[in-house]
Amino acid sequence: MSASNFRVFIVDDDEHVLRALSRLVRAAGYASETFASPRQFLERHDSGDRGCLILDFIMPEIDGLQLQALLSARGISLPIIFLTGRGKVETGVSAMKAGAVDFLTKPVDDTLLLAAIRRAEMQEAAARHHRDEMASIAARLATLTPRETQVLTHVIAGRLNKQIAGDLGTVEKTIKVHRGRMMEKLGVHSVADLVRLTERAGIRPYGLHEPGYQTLPDAIGPRANSTIAAP
Amino acid sequence: MDVGAAVRPARALPAYIESDGAKLTLVALAYFVGAELAFVVGTLSDKIFAPFWPPNIVLLYALVFAPARRWWLYILATFPAHVVAELGIGMGAQQLLVAFATNALLAVIIALAMIRVLGGPPRFDNVRGATTYILVAALISPALVALGGAFVPITGGGAITKYWTFWAQWFLSNALGALTLGSAAFIWLRQKSSPPMTSWRRIEALLLAAALVVVCTVAFELGTGSIAIGFLPALLYSPLPLILWAAVRFGARGASGAVVMVTVVLTWRALNGPSLFVAGDSETNVFALQIFLVALAIPVLLLGTAIEEVRRAERTTREREEQMAFAAASANIGLWQYEHAGNRFWATEHCRAMLSVPPGAPLTWEAIRNCVQPEDRDALIDLVRAARIESPAEHEFRVRDPDGQIRWIAARARTEFDAGATPTRVSGLLTDITRRKQAEHEIDLQRKELAHLMRVGMVGELSGAIAHELNQPLTAILANAQAARRMLAQTSPDAHEIEDALDDIVRDDNRAGEVIRRLRGLLKKDAGRSEPVDLNGLVEAALRLLHGELVGRTVKVELNLQPGLPHAFGDPIQLQQVLLNLVMNSIEAMGATPPAERVVRITTRSTDQDRIEVVVADRGCGLSPDAKARLFMPFFTTKEHGLGLGLSICSTIVRSCGGELGLTGNARGGATATMTLPLPERMRHAHEKRIAAT
Repeated sequence: MSASNFRVFIVDDDEHVLRALSRLVRAAGYASETFASPRQFLERHDSGDRGCLILDFIMPEIDGLQLQALLSARGISLPIIFLTGRGKVETGVSAMKAGAVDFLTKPVDDTLLLAAIRRAEMQEAAARHHRDEMASIAARLATLTPRETQVLTHVIAGRLNKQIAGDLGTVEKTIKVHRGRMMEKLGVHSVADLVRLTERAGIRPYGLHEPGYQTLPDAIGPRANSTIAAP
Repeated sequence: MDVGAAVRPARALPAYIESDGAKLTLVALAYFVGAELAFVVGTLSDKIFAPFWPPNIVLLYALVFAPARRWWLYILATFPAHVVAELGIGMGAQQLLVAFATNALLAVIIALAMIRVLGGPPRFDNVRGATTYILVAALISPALVALGGAFVPITGGGAITKYWTFWAQWFLSNALGALTLGSAAFIWLRQKSSPPMTSWRRIEALLLAAALVVVCTVAFELGTGSIAIGFLPALLYSPLPLILWAAVRFGARGASGAVVMVTVVLTWRALNGPSLFVAGDSETNVFALQIFLVALAIPVLLLGTAIEEVRRAERTTREREEQMAFAAASANIGLWQYEHAGNRFWATEHCRAMLSVPPGAPLTWEAIRNCVQPEDRDALIDLVRAARIESPAEHEFRVRDPDGQIRWIAARARTEFDAGATPTRVSGLLTDITRRKQAEHEIDLQRKELAHLMRVGMVGELSGAIAHELNQPLTAILANAQAARRMLAQTSPDAHEIEDALDDIVRDDNRAGEVIRRLRGLLKKDAGRSEPVDLNGLVEAALRLLHGELVGRTVKVELNLQPGLPHAFGDPIQLQQVLLNLVMNSIEAMGATPPAERVVRITTRSTDQDRIEVVVADRGCGLSPDAKARLFMPFFTTKEHGLGLGLSICSTIVRSCGGELGLTGNARGGATATMTLPLPERMRHAHEKRIAAT
């Protein structure tokens, strides 16, 4: 039913609840993994693991909100579904603000829980898709030579080959070659595709100084790569 | 003075002779009349000396009742009477003076002796008083004074060779006077009759007096002429039964009255014709008469007095018994006694009423046993048994009164033993303690009610935590059930997995049921049983109830439970309440403690002093000096919304189990509560054996 390596991680200090939730999740076709405490989860979880987290809100030592904060500090972006025995509005609100998928009260109905899991799964998939896309754009951008990158910023600024050649102090023919190679490396066939791609990667056209865009030389290299990969 | 005098005051003299002048005149007059009487008797019988001499008794009587510093007045007052009387029979001045001197001396000696020895006038209601009077007034003093008195006839011309005859005359006439007239005067004028005269007794007394006069007259009328001389002693004894009757029935009054009557009749007979005393000359006859009367009077007077004393003692005892029974009944106490000899029971009316034995019904062990409630009958037997060993023994039992009400009776008993250590008597008292028992019962009920209310309040405080405890199994049950349904909907359901899910549902349902049961137990009202309690189990159960609260407040629990802890004895629900209260106090005290340091340490252990301890220590805010002093006082609280009854009730609960609850501050901050419970007797013995074995 779902993607092969998507798993549901469940953290609850009550082993009976843990086992029951795990059974339900498995019956719904998900793979699941259970943890008796937040600490155990932190010890065993790998940042590359795909999935979502069902988290009991009230637990000894580290509670749900604290775990959420800890994960976020570690850069782990698992979608979190909170379960709680006592649904307090304030705690729910702060959990949702911190990016929780849902805040459900125990005992939880399977449709609600599974719907939340599905939402988490989609969120996770979207995030993954976005991340993959960014990664491929960054990888393609990384193949460009400095000259080709320069030509790119000029192209997306809407300038003609002749103007670009004038700006860069070369002939139009050379620019044409650079431009063709750049378009090929990035895998785009039209300027419109190129603009969409660079917009997604946040590359600033030549001469534009709006916030949110990067000046191109900075966008190139390993630093740019990591920046793009971050959500 | 003896007790009798204090209880029964002497008769007061009539008011008209209260003034001194009247008294003196009266005494002088009586003296004169007495002397004249003696002379008449003497004249009639042609003798100088009468068988007795009344004036001395008059003077003695006057002196004994007058203060010593006034005695000279009385002596002075009687002197003219003496002179007039003696001159009347032509006595010489010298004789007259010696006679008066000896008479006055006699009266003074006796009066002094009476006041010295008896502290006042003689009383004939106790043998000591009567004996003293007889010794002093009728024997020693007359004998001494007669040594001088004997000179009176000698100065009147009597032969000095007859000195001892004169002495004997003086002695006997004074002794007889003291025994007859003297005792009669003291008894009849100053002592009340006892027992009081009823009309029947008056008739009896009159008949007796008449019979005595008749018997004496007839007996002594029969002279030697009409009867063989060998029968004389029999005749002399004939009044004796009547005299004894008088002494036995009428005490000292009867005795002295009878003696006076016999004296009068005998003297009369001796004066008027043939007498029983006809041995020789008239002087010897008078001697014989005097000796006879003295010998008769002394034992009869003593007998009358002794009977008076016995009767008084009896009366006193009876009055005391009545007083005691009255006091006992007023104090709601019943008195009882059981004599082993004769298997006899005695009990006050109040005691019978308490036991609901109908008045008049015979009091036996069986009857008493039947009054006691069947379940308490052993207590009665235990009481009697225990009374032989410890004294006094105490037991409580219930009886059912005629209205069907149950009454509580406390009984105390002690056994008396004879010289051979054989029990002779069991005596004791009963107290109706129904009211006290009811009050105790009510206080107990109120205490339980309050403890219950506190438990309800505590459950309210814990409701969040308890809801969490219930929520967990409910969550698991729902998830398992829905999982099972989903699995069933699959094309090839995994039967094994579904079975597991169903098993889990059953177990979680039980878990939820357990929470409800614990809750219900805590809310139950009929606490107050006493049974062996596993304190370790109790600690664990309390922690299960508090689990949500502990987790919610991030409080860690360190457990240090002694394995194989002996059971304590008490009410498990109430002890549970104490533990919950202590742990909750600890949790609340640590509100300001950093979460990492919020630890409650619970320790159970048995101590060397045969006690079991449960210690709850926290790292909270500890105790302020003010709090330390007032911890267990009702309505003292350090909490903002506290009622201040928790520790006070906990302390009451622990004390009702025979234990103690203490709370102290820790050196490192926080407080430690220690609940100490005694080992039940049985457990203690097993414990000792175990120690001995190791």
